[in-house]
Amino acid sequence: MNQNRSLLSDGLSRLTRNKRYIVWFYVLNILLAWFGTVAFATQAHEMLDHSLAASGLVHGFDLGVFTEMMAQPEFGSTRTSGAPAMYFASTFFVLSVLFMPGVILGYASTYRLPREDFFRACGRNLWRFIRLLIIAGIVMGIVAGVLFGIRGALIKAANESTNELLPFYTSMACLLVIFLLMSVLRIWFDLAQADVVLSDRSAVRRSLAIAFRHTWRGLGSLLGSYVVTTIIAAILLIGGLWFWIKFVPPASVVGAFFVSQFTLLLLLVPRFWQRGVAVTYYQQHMVEPIPEQSFSVPAIPASDPVVASPAMVEPAETSTP
Amino acid sequence: MKIRWIILLLPVLSVLAITLAVHEHAAHAAEPPQSAPAKAALAPAASNQSGSLSIPETTIAINSDKPMSERIVHYEIDAHYNATTHVVDATEVLTYHNTTGQALDHFPFHLYQNAFQPKATWVTEAKIMGSRDTNYAKWEDKDYGSEEIKSIEVVGQGDLTAKLHYIAPDDGNKDDKTVIDLPVNKPIAPGENVQFKIAFQTKFPETQARSGWKRDFVLGGQWFPKVGVWWHGAWNCHQYHNTTEFFADFGVFDVKLTVPQFEIVGASGVRVGEANNSDGTKTVTFHGDDIHDFAWTASPRYKVKDDGIFQGQMGPVKMQILMQPAHWSQVGRHEKILSETLDHFERWYGPYPYKTITLVDPEPDSAAFGMEYPTFITGGTSWFMPEGLRFPELVVEHEFGHQYWYGMVATNEFEDAWMDEGINSYTEAKVLDSIFSPQTSVIDMAGATLGEPGLQRMSYIGVADLDPIAKNAYEYYNSNSYGGITYGKTASVLLTLESIIGADTMQKAMHVYFMKYRFTHPTKEDFLKTIEEVSGKNLRWYFDQAIYGTQVMDYKVLRIESLPLNWYEQKKGGPGKDDKNTLYRDTVWVQRKGDFAMPIDVEIKFSDGSKVREHWKGDPRWTQFSYERKATVESAEIDPDHNVMIDRNNLNNSYSEEGNGKPARKLANYWMFATQWVSQALAWWGV
Repeated sequence: MNQNRSLLSDGLSRLTRNKRYIVWFYVLNILLAWFGTVAFATQAHEMLDHSLAASGLVHGFDLGVFTEMMAQPEFGSTRTSGAPAMYFASTFFVLSVLFMPGVILGYASTYRLPREDFFRACGRNLWRFIRLLIIAGIVMGIVAGVLFGIRGALIKAANESTNELLPFYTSMACLLVIFLLMSVLRIWFDLAQADVVLSDRSAVRRSLAIAFRHTWRGLGSLLGSYVVTTIIAAILLIGGLWFWIKFVPPASVVGAFFVSQFTLLLLLVPRFWQRGVAVTYYQQHMVEPIPEQSFSVPAIPASDPVVASPAMVEPAETSTP
Repeated sequence: MKIRWIILLLPVLSVLAITLAVHEHAAHAAEPPQSAPAKAALAPAASNQSGSLSIPETTIAINSDKPMSERIVHYEIDAHYNATTHVVDATEVLTYHNTTGQALDHFPFHLYQNAFQPKATWVTEAKIMGSRDTNYAKWEDKDYGSEEIKSIEVVGQGDLTAKLHYIAPDDGNKDDKTVIDLPVNKPIAPGENVQFKIAFQTKFPETQARSGWKRDFVLGGQWFPKVGVWWHGAWNCHQYHNTTEFFADFGVFDVKLTVPQFEIVGASGVRVGEANNSDGTKTVTFHGDDIHDFAWTASPRYKVKDDGIFQGQMGPVKMQILMQPAHWSQVGRHEKILSETLDHFERWYGPYPYKTITLVDPEPDSAAFGMEYPTFITGGTSWFMPEGLRFPELVVEHEFGHQYWYGMVATNEFEDAWMDEGINSYTEAKVLDSIFSPQTSVIDMAGATLGEPGLQRMSYIGVADLDPIAKNAYEYYNSNSYGGITYGKTASVLLTLESIIGADTMQKAMHVYFMKYRFTHPTKEDFLKTIEEVSGKNLRWYFDQAIYGTQVMDYKVLRIESLPLNWYEQKKGGPGKDDKNTLYRDTVWVQRKGDFAMPIDVEIKFSDGSKVREHWKGDPRWTQFSYERKATVESAEIDPDHNVMIDRNNLNNSYSEEGNGKPARKLANYWMFATQWVSQALAWWGV
């Protein structure tokens, strides 16, 4: 539990030292989402701006008006407005892959990482991350497929029961199990990513193997930390939506915008916190010791002081970030 | 034990625990009932001698001292239900009174349960047109239903079983066995009674089309051989189609149901007897007067509330509610809406004469929800149903409404489905809007609202130009078109009709129609002419387009323009647009985009706060309204009172010069929030 707390608190301190990453990712998130919304917004403005019937959407949310708008051929298909949103959501995903090595390096640093070093790490690890992403996709895809298949079968069996609530409970229990197992996989790949970046290891298979061993060894504390942060994310999301519905007047678009955006900004925190936890674990447990080498030390003049370079405390295989 | 082993074992144990729990419950559900096998009840029920055949004039089940319908049929059924095989073995004694005015030499019978066979018309149509229950991705044994006449005897003419032959009057499908015809040896003279003694066996499928079994529940609907209706000089006995319902004559039902003793039973009519048998079964007896069908249900797990009494105009009505245990907390909601609906129907349309109404909350996940049978309806809810989601209320109201539009005003559901489903959807909108409000009668939750008129419109506008309302129910383009036109368009058309003849006149017309045609089989013209008679208006122009035609209405404010008459002075630096003394030529152009023409109102608002209301006949394609005023046009709105429900696009019915970007910005904010959240979730698990 102490170790768990230490991981969480240390991860949180890395997060708070590097708040700018969350802000950057949030800016990226909102910017891309804005692009993804333009098509929908244009269509909606065209249909609604001069229509008095649209007032049903201002002081409440009349589903009849909304559905009517969506159903009109003049509005176009939902694919027209939905596709850009999906493209830009995917772009955010790709850019997250691109910039995550810099974030990991920043979290590992005890000083403010220079921008050049951040982007250097991103470029240096891009291909490694893509390989990790492909492997993660295959592994997580297979595991998720099997687990959801089992869930489906269990729910089908539960449906034969005369207890109406059993399928629901079954589904919830299965989702909990799936969440835990997928979190374990997420931890594995997060540690592998940390190892790839911080050990500057080009062989991702080795990073995966090391990360797998450590996921197993530190499963309790790591999973505990990940579960806690996910619960916090769920609370933030539900709390944000509740506040939005409860306190923001239906006609207040600005109020809704700020509450929704603040919620989304906060929602980034738990995931970055998990990154902080992974980096903390890496530095506490996964740093490989510097191999002892026997070499002759030349005589040093007594007057010259010895100054330890920051690079000397980094892992043996790590190049200076 | 180390924590990582606990974590590893936790999911495994969870899966095991869930599996065991599921198995335990499933095993319990599949447990065969402790009943003796149903008897092959071939002995005919007690019946009159052929020489003194008559239809009883009983009034046990109605609050009236004399029959209310012209009773054509008397069914006496003795049925034994095997809860393990879902098979009914029964005898049926049908007494038929020939009121047709001519000799009848053959009698067609519906065998509805034969619809659930792979080559039957019903299943074929479901595959092609789509179905609300199942798409039959693959055929399974549980989908199979059957209804077989083992023997049939016509009293005085002997056993005529060999003369039975299947017919397919609608599509000629030789594999469809939903209608069987019996030629009789000696024609039945006008005014004469004839009695059929039938032994039949019905096997229910897993619930389809509001009939059948699910787990240990059964809904016995359309389960016995039912004679066709002599209508307009011919037998009317259609095959069972994917989009059709039923049509039958009024009469008396005496039904004995033998089921395992643990079953809780509900049925049409009133319960007149119950006796336990020595073989672990019990026989429950029901009697129905002035009804044209009989349905029943059994489940060992119903929780029953039967102490509710509604004081109707003709006498007390006992409200019996059979709820699923997990829905028991909603029994109050069900009773309240049932009682309020009864109250509205009695006040607006006419008295409910029956002594009972049985509301069944059917087995979850079954295709038995939302169905009407005489004095017997099924609702539809779920264990999670917040008060703001009014689907249970909607279903109960709708199905009760069928007691009037189907139950008593017994229209032909094969040919005029709109006259039961559509008229009923219209009264559903009226009643629910009265109980709740027109804006929130369906959904009122978390700021989101939906009213009945909106719901009906939504189902219509997507299929507006496919089929007319007046069409055989089995000839629609597909099941969506059937649903959207039959339910949604009819309701919208009748709501719109209120704006032409007035809401009060429309309500009066509905009352007159009900009182005049209850316990009969009216046609579409009977209904339409009643409205014309009551309103004193010739409405053919409307009915021809709305009921018989496929014309689509779409009015639009094409443009508004305010031209300063001294525009040339402005150019020279004269008075500006804000000058209150400037005279404008204000023009509003209105267009009829669709081919449905009807007179409409147009309201024009000016910048000085004044309003003008114009009336346009809707012909020719467009018109303009021009004014010279010291004010500009602020907005123009077609149908300012929002009475027209059949306009395909309400959003273009108005134009505001100023414009208001708020609605679109609000939606865009929701869209952006969703996009951001999805992209964050994607990155959370993917990166």
